Amino acid sequence: MSGGRNDEELERRLRGALGAVDPGTGFAPGVLARIAAEPRRPERPARAGAVVGWLAFGLAASVIIAILLAHQWQVQRLEQGREARRQLIEALRMTDQKLNLASRVVNGEEHGAPQEHSGV
Amino acid sequence: MTGDEECTSGELLTQALAGERAAFGALVRRYQRPVYSLALRMLSDRHAAEDLAQEVFLQLYRNLASVSSESHLGFWLRRVTLHRAIDRLRRTPRLEQFAPEELGDVAGESAQADPLLERRLRALVGELSPAARAVVLLRYQEDLDPVEIARTLRMPLNTVKSHLKRSLAQLRERMTERVEALT
Repeated sequence: MSGGRNDEELERRLRGALGAVDPGTGFAPGVLARIAAEPRRPERPARAGAVVGWLAFGLAASVIIAILLAHQWQVQRLEQGREARRQLIEALRMTDQKLNLASRVVNGEEHGAPQEHSGV
Repeated sequence: MTGDEECTSGELLTQALAGERAAFGALVRRYQRPVYSLALRMLSDRHAAEDLAQEVFLQLYRNLASVSSESHLGFWLRRVTLHRAIDRLRRTPRLEQFAPEELGDVAGESAQADPLLERRLRALVGELSPAARAVVLLRYQEDLDPVEIARTLRMPLNTVKSHLKRSLAQLRERMTERVEALT
């Protein structure tokens, strides 16, 4: 055999020779019996999918909670900083008042002393 | 609803996925011929082919959720059957050497066909390397084009074409030898 015509003939013969073969009537019951003997069920992949889904959901929820906690912690720290600043300003203001008062007292004493001496 | 003949394979798939064993049984009956035929032509051994074909359907049962449609089902069955057959041939090379002439009771064997020649051809196909045999079977038994064969076997298209070309040349040469020996 050679050439394109012979190839076609060989291909035609191959198609004829390689027809389907039936495995017999006992085949399908045999498969079902093997399935019945198996503990696993077809819904297992779906269950596995559901477990993976729940794990993904749990992971996402954990990440969101962690972000919220971090945000809350940051807000709290900012608030503490603001409070510390406010207290510092208040302390400075009070110190300033006291210093002013002391300054007035000292200045008053300085201005008052010559008057006392001049009165003698 | 059970797996009746009027149901499409897609409907049977859905029912089987819902846990209906009868629907899965109908799917097995619908696809047992092509799956068993591929296994038989690959392994050239009836018992090994039946065992392998049953394992393919067991695997299908365990992975029903991963099969999305009727066309995907056919593709999936062919791919798993051939990969399992090639694996088995690698593990048990003696099956590869066994190419019995008696594997000839093909349902579609026509009256005008030469039964002896066809048996000889089947035996020669059984002597091809497992990969080349798989390509030839998908081309001439399953009537797939080279692109579909490449996708099924996860093989480069050029390798498929090369397997086909070399296998045809080898078959033609051996058939010629056979004819010359007879004359």
